[in-house]
Formats: sequence, C-alpha cells, structure tokens
Amino acid sequence: MANKRKSRGKGKSRGRSRIWGWLLKLGLVGLVLVGALAVYLDAIVQEKFSGKRWAVPAKVFARPLELYAGRPLSRDDFLTELKALGYRQSNAANGPGQMAVGGSRIDVYTRGFQFFEGAERAQRVSVRFDGNRVASISGAQDLIMARLEPLMIGGIYPAHNEDRILIRLDQAPPYLVDSLVAVEDREFFQHFGVSPKGIARAMFVNLTTGSLRQGGSTLTQQLVKNFYLTADRNIIRKGLEAMMAVLLELHYSKEEILEAYLNEVFLGQDGNRAVHGFGLASQYYFAQPLQELQLHQVALLVGMVKGASYYNPRRNPERATTRRNLVLDLMAEQGMISQQEATDAKNKPLDVTQGGSLANTSYPAFMDLVKRQLRADYRDEDLTSEGLRIFTSFDPLLQHKAETAVQGTLKRFGETPDKKPLEAAMVVTGAQTGEVLAVVGGANPRFSGFNRALDASRPIGSLIKPAIYLTALEKPERYSLITPIDDDPITLEAEPGKTWSPQNYDRQSHGRVPLYLALAKSYNQAAVRLGTEVGVDSVLNTVRRLGVDHDWPAYPAMLLGSGAMTPMQVADMYQTIANGGFNTPLRAIRNVLTAQGEPLKRYPFEVRQRFDSATIYLTQQAMTHVMTEGTGRSAYNHVSSNIRLAGKTGTTNDLRDSWFAGFSDDLVAVAWVGRDDNDRTRLTGATGALQVWNGFMGAAHPQSLADVPPAEIVTAWADPLTGLGSDPSCEGSVEIPFRAGYEPLPGPGCKPVIDTEVIRDGANRVLDTIRDWLR
Amino acid sequence: MGIRQVALLGAVIAVLSGCAGSGGAIPVVDSGRPVSNEDMRTGAGRVGTSTPQAPATQQDSGVVVMVPDGQGGSSAVQSYPLDNQPSISSGGITSSPAVGSGPGSSSGALQADEQLDGPVLALLTTARQQESNGDLNGANASLERAMRIAPREPQVLYRLAQVRLSQGDAAQAEQLARRGLAYASGRPSLQAGLWELVAQAREQQGDAAGAEQARQRARVSS
Repeated sequence: MANKRKSRGKGKSRGRSRIWGWLLKLGLVGLVLVGALAVYLDAIVQEKFSGKRWAVPAKVFARPLELYAGRPLSRDDFLTELKALGYRQSNAANGPGQMAVGGSRIDVYTRGFQFFEGAERAQRVSVRFDGNRVASISGAQDLIMARLEPLMIGGIYPAHNEDRILIRLDQAPPYLVDSLVAVEDREFFQHFGVSPKGIARAMFVNLTTGSLRQGGSTLTQQLVKNFYLTADRNIIRKGLEAMMAVLLELHYSKEEILEAYLNEVFLGQDGNRAVHGFGLASQYYFAQPLQELQLHQVALLVGMVKGASYYNPRRNPERATTRRNLVLDLMAEQGMISQQEATDAKNKPLDVTQGGSLANTSYPAFMDLVKRQLRADYRDEDLTSEGLRIFTSFDPLLQHKAETAVQGTLKRFGETPDKKPLEAAMVVTGAQTGEVLAVVGGANPRFSGFNRALDASRPIGSLIKPAIYLTALEKPERYSLITPIDDDPITLEAEPGKTWSPQNYDRQSHGRVPLYLALAKSYNQAAVRLGTEVGVDSVLNTVRRLGVDHDWPAYPAMLLGSGAMTPMQVADMYQTIANGGFNTPLRAIRNVLTAQGEPLKRYPFEVRQRFDSATIYLTQQAMTHVMTEGTGRSAYNHVSSNIRLAGKTGTTNDLRDSWFAGFSDDLVAVAWVGRDDNDRTRLTGATGALQVWNGFMGAAHPQSLADVPPAEIVTAWADPLTGLGSDPSCEGSVEIPFRAGYEPLPGPGCKPVIDTEVIRDGANRVLDTIRDWLR
Repeated sequence: MGIRQVALLGAVIAVLSGCAGSGGAIPVVDSGRPVSNEDMRTGAGRVGTSTPQAPATQQDSGVVVMVPDGQGGSSAVQSYPLDNQPSISSGGITSSPAVGSGPGSSSGALQADEQLDGPVLALLTTARQQESNGDLNGANASLERAMRIAPREPQVLYRLAQVRLSQGDAAQAEQLARRGLAYASGRPSLQAGLWELVAQAREQQGDAAGAEQARQRARVSS
C-alpha cells in the first residue's frame, strides 16, 4: 500500500516531471515554430516591401494647353481649363497652382510637368486676351510659349482595382505627417511597431465603455493590416499583425514606413475604383496636387483615415466637417498650429470639387478609343500595373462643347412621338493633324455602354456624295465645278433583274445644274447620273482611298450611301478631304512615358497622299457651297459668315439616320443622330445632325478655311448656266477655280463699247413709256 | 397694244442690251451691276471682283531656317547632308531665336525677312538641339508640336521629313516632304530643298529612277 502510495507518489512526481518535460518540449517546439513563423513572416514582409509595392494603373492625360501670342483661346475657356486643373484664386499667383484673374488678363503660376519631349518648368505667366485670342504672354525672360500641365482624364483599371498616385514623403504638405501621427498614432516615432501604451489605453477605453471602440493599432500595424493581410478580424490575425509590424520596424526606417502608409491608406471609393493614398485622394477630392493642399484640406483628409466612407465629404459633408474640425482642434491642442489658425481653418468650407465638374467627369467614349489603340501594343497587365503615363490629343474644352451641343440639341428636339429616345454621337478631329480631339458616344456622354462613335455602323446617305464628285473632278478633261449635270429622272438596273429610280428629296427634277450646285443642293438624280458616268466601282475605290476600308458591292444604290460607316470612319473619310488629300490614320495617343518619366513609345504623325491637292481644293470649294447656298446653310446662324466652312448633310431612307460631316481649317466634326433600334427619327441631315454640328461649331470658334489655292489652280470667268467661258462684265458670270490648263477660254465681253450712261438714262425713260403702253 | 408695240419693245431691248451674246435669259430692265454683283458673291468661288486675292505672296518672303535665299552667299539646301547634321545645328537657328539678325556667314542663318512666328521658331530651335544631342524622338515630338501650331508651314514639314529620314523612315519622310511641297508654292528654294529630300527618301527606298525625277524637279525649282 505504502509502496503503492509511494509508487503512486513516485508516479505522481514522475508524471509531474513528465508533464514538465512535455511542456518544455512543447515550449521548445512552440519556440521553434514561432521562430519559423517569424522567419517566414520576415520573408514576406521584406519581399513585398522591397519590391514593387503597388500595381499602379496607367494614367491617361489630355493634351497640354499651349500658350503663345496669337493662339485662338478665349478667356473663359482658359479659366475653365484652369479650374479643371484645380488652380486656386489668389491675389498675385506667386506659387504653383495659383491664378489671379482679371478682366482681360489672367496670371497663372504653372505647375511644371515632365513631358515626352522634355520638362516644362513651373513658372509664372501673364496671359492677355483679345477677344477669342491670346494677345500676348509674358513671364520671366523673353517668354515665347508655355504649357500648362495636362489634365488627367482617366486611368486604365481592371474591373475592380485600387488606384493611387504615388508620392514621396518630401512631397507631403506641411502638417500632413504631424497631424496624421497626432490623430492616429501619437507614439509612432517612439514605439517599435506595437505600442503597449496604446493597447493599454485601448483596452481601458473598451472595458469602460463596454464595446470595441478603439483598436490601439499603430500606423505600422495599420499598414501591415492593409498591405499584407486580409480583412477578417480575429485574435490570430491580430497576433500576426503585431509580429509583422515589429519585423517591419526592424528592417525599415520610420520614414519609409510612413511613406508607404501615405500611399497605402484607403481614402474613398469611386465606383469600381478604390482611392488609395493621399496623392490620389488629393486629386479625387480637391483636383489639386497634394503639395498644394492647405491646412483645412489636410485636416479633412487626415480625419477621413478613420472611415473614408463614413466621413465622405461629398456624401456626408456635416460629419466630415465635424471630424475635420476635431482634427484641427487636436492640432491646436498639441501646439502644431495656433488657436487662431485653427479657427480660421475651421471657418473655411470643405472646398471639395463637385463630382461631375470637368476634372472629375470621366470620358468613357474617348477612353474606350485610347484603350483600343493601346491594346494593340501593350498587354493588359502592363496597362493596369506599370504606372505608364499616356499622353493623348484629347481636348477637354472641345469635348465639353461637343457634349453640350449633343445634349442641348437632343433636348430641343424633345421626345419622339413614340417616346423612344433619340441617340447621337459625335467625333471631332484636328483637320490638319488627324488627332482625335473629342468623342461623344451617346446622348448621355457619362454612360460607358455602347460607344456609338466607334461602333454604330449606319448607312451614310448623302455623305458619300463628295466621293462621287471627287472621282469626277479627278478627270479635269471632262469635269469642272460648273460642268452641267443632268438632274432629270433616271432609271437603272440596280441588281440583276431589278430597276431602281432614285428620286430627289423634294421629288422634283432640276434640269441641268452646275456640278458644284448639284452637290450643294444634294440632288440625288444628278449624283447617281454622275456616279454611273464615272463608275460605281471608281467611286467605291475613292472611298477606300479616302481612308475607309469597306466591302460594299458595286450596286448603284451605293451612290446614295446605302453602305454603312461608323462616325469615326466618316471622320477619317472627311479628314482626308479637309487635309488636302493626305490621309492620316486617326490617332488618339501621342506618346507614352514610363512611371519614372522615361520615353517609352511614340505614335508619330503619319500621312499618305491619296489625292492631288488641286482636285481636293475643287472638291472643298464645292463643299463650301453646301454651307453657303445648299443644305448646310443653317450653320451660318451659328458661325460668323466670314468663316469659310465645308460640309455635307446625310439622310437615310425613311429618315432613320441623320448625319452631318464638315470641317473648318482646324476642325473636322462628324455628328450622327438616330435611334438604337434603327427606327425613324423624322429628322433629315439638316434638321437633325447639322443642328448638333452647328451647336458645336458655334461654340468652338473654328478657323476659316484657307483660301490660298494650290499652284495648279487658276481662276477664270464663266457662265454657271452653260459652263462656258465668260467675262467679268457679263451678268451672272462668276469667277471659278479650275485646274490649270482646263479653264475655259474667256467669252466675249458684255460691256458696250461706248459709254452708255446717257443713252441708258434715255432708254430707261423710253422703257417707262413702253411699260405704260403695255399696262 | 398690239404687235407693233411688242415689236417696238423688242427692238428697243435689242438696241439697249449690248450683251446679246451672253446667252441665258434676257431680262428686260433689271440688268445692272448691283444685281450681278450679288450673284457673283454667292456664285462659285465666292471671290467677287471686289476681293482681289492675295494668296501666296504673303508667305512668299519667309523662307529659311534651313533654306537660304541664295543671297548672302550661303550654300543651297543640298549642302545639308544628313550624316552631317550636328554641324548644321552648330550654326543657324540654334544661335538665337531672334528674328532678322542673321549673321549671313553660317549656312542656316535666318534671313532678314524671316516670317516664322515666335513659338514655331522656338520649337524648331529646340528640335535642332534635341537632334544634335541624338534625341531624334524628342526632336520629332517638338516638331509635331510646332506642326500643331502652324500645320501648313512647309519649313516645319521639311524638318520633320529630315528627322524621319535620319530615323530611317524613308517612306514617311517622302510623304512629309510632299506635304510640304503642297504648301510651298511661290517659295522656290524651299521647294528645291523639299524635292531634294524626296529624292533622298526615294533613294533609301531603292527607287533610283524616282529619286532622279525628284532631283530634276529640285533643279527646276531652285
């Protein structure tokens, strides 16, 4: 028994020591495991922190606004651009991002920017305006030209993604770091990753209030949480977080950790895009670079760290204001700012830009075009992660005008009788450069669905006609601008076994009309007759040479535009005519820089001469008559009559599609109005799309077409009714450009040889007498 | 009121209108300048008698940067062989963007009648510097920037064609030079330079006959 007891006692003590042994072993194993875990975590911490920390989406920029004396630019447009770029009013514009606005003079301090062809420095520029022109610019030294930084118009994101603009610690504005530390982690510069004091305080608060109010996380822990861990909250994750925070502090300086934090922190949600970091948040909320933020703006952003959606200044301005003021009080309490500064800042408005202003609107139709052109050259993952900087030709001022024209005109048309919505699209390109300047993809330009400018392929109607007349004018021995064309009824074999008798829009025939007038008035019978004379296949080939590839069958109906094009293709076609016969592939992208500002790729200007300049000049002349006396006349209700414009209306069967394509010296604009279900619109080219075009051109201040003919053009007097040579003294004769060598011989003069002034006086008297007899 | 009166009327008309040969309708009384003036205004060309054309002459004078006028003893355009670029940039417009102070000694000197605008001239200068630093892409971008400001300035197109040729893009160099020619009427020395560029571009593309044709045009122009 004793033995037993003894042995039992022995067994007990043996068991106890065994337990201790086990515990020791377990402890050792645990230690090894924790060590292994630490080594493992350390690898993770270092790997992610030392490599490329973030996938940064490509950023897409508009064209930079160029400033030089003589540049067409109104003061109001300049101001719009400056506001979109987040320039602040000040009395003297003595720092980047400031402007001083006067009646006819605006002083700006530009921000400077790294462009493809070099850096533009930040500088103070005085811009004087004279009407719709820059009268002069002045600045340091003999300033000849200056550029504003380009507006960022979007990024290239995967479906759901974080976005950020990376900043360096030294780019942080005053107070940002101090106030952030004061609000989020007072001991940041003292602790080693975790703060026992902070945890104790948090536990005390949580215990006394009975709820989980405070996390007690240091900035380092917050960074670890966002950077390495998933969002679920539990005690194991908390432990990992603490370990990793300590490891991070072991390897990296406080400054490095702080910089990463500034770029990582979540500060808002913009649709599918998560706004990370203070750099992007500053652009997102204030449309300004972070460096330029003032005290009250910094305080707002710092306050939002606690809960970006709860304190969203756009949605919950009161909450955001309270929180901001709390941050300001705290800063004053800690002596960072004076009480007076805090009060001043608290009295300021939130200063947040409105969603929907120029800077914050997205341009889905143009971005769509940019992405399509980029995807030809880059892999998706490069576009969404490498932080490329993409420079485009996008002109936000013209885009705004195009959108206003589309929306305003459609609103004026009102609802269609059957309540189905009208749709519209518009493309604007630089007439000489072939650069795409603006794209409107539908009646709601913010909607990023069906991009009609690029994808709605519709019959072009009479927009084809310039190709017919151009084909004819390429044969100067047969056709000139005043060659009489027969507009009498015509019947053709359309397809084998089917006849076709096209009719004019007014159901009238107009007899023999001069060639230019047949185009100006858009007479169908004359166009079809001329088209069959020169050959349908020649006309279709001309369309190809104008830059639009198609596989249209050579049926006569093609002469009235039964072939379909997208607005972008139409722009390409008219571009070639506007550009003196040189086709340029339409481009939206100028060049691409890497995230570090190194030149990566250029999309150079390219031209191909497709038509000789004399023929194109004559075609342009005929198209100016569309505007002065033809179907495009209403344009001059919007544009001054001394601006020469050229263009063409297009209307398709049963008034389904309404088109207008036209150009000035600097702009090609194509407008389409129709319906997605391809039903009737009751609009002709002139009553529909032309109205959109007019609205745009009226606001865009187009430059008059150059009237300097190419060397191969001569002018001669001729009678437009017969097409024969005439003399300036003859009534009705006009001076008409011809290709040199094909001008008609001058006709006999119509002036009496002797001065008839006296005789005519007497004759008038005689005629009056005769009239009396006849009465 | 009868045949006699109508005949008389006809006779008077025949006498009065000395313009019987002009064809068309025969108006009775309203023949006069004002009406026909209006017709002319709306007629083809829209250049009534009252508006004399002042076309090419206005651009006529402003040559240069790289194409000297022939006065002042400067050599012709052909003296700018491509393998020799830096030497061009050492003289000429890099020296100063100022207008009209051409020293006359360097072949690329500005002429007194220089017509280029400030910004275009400044950008051509920048492009020269970039080119001489071997930054052809940068030069290209600067020249395109100039082209956006002055799209019809053949000197810009000339330089752009030159740079593209140095980059080995002979096809585009030819096209750009031809585009320059389309806007260079009345500027013979510039035309000669552009034709010479076309010739070089064609040579690079292996089109010897085409190059020879272009050279002939260059000789005719200069």
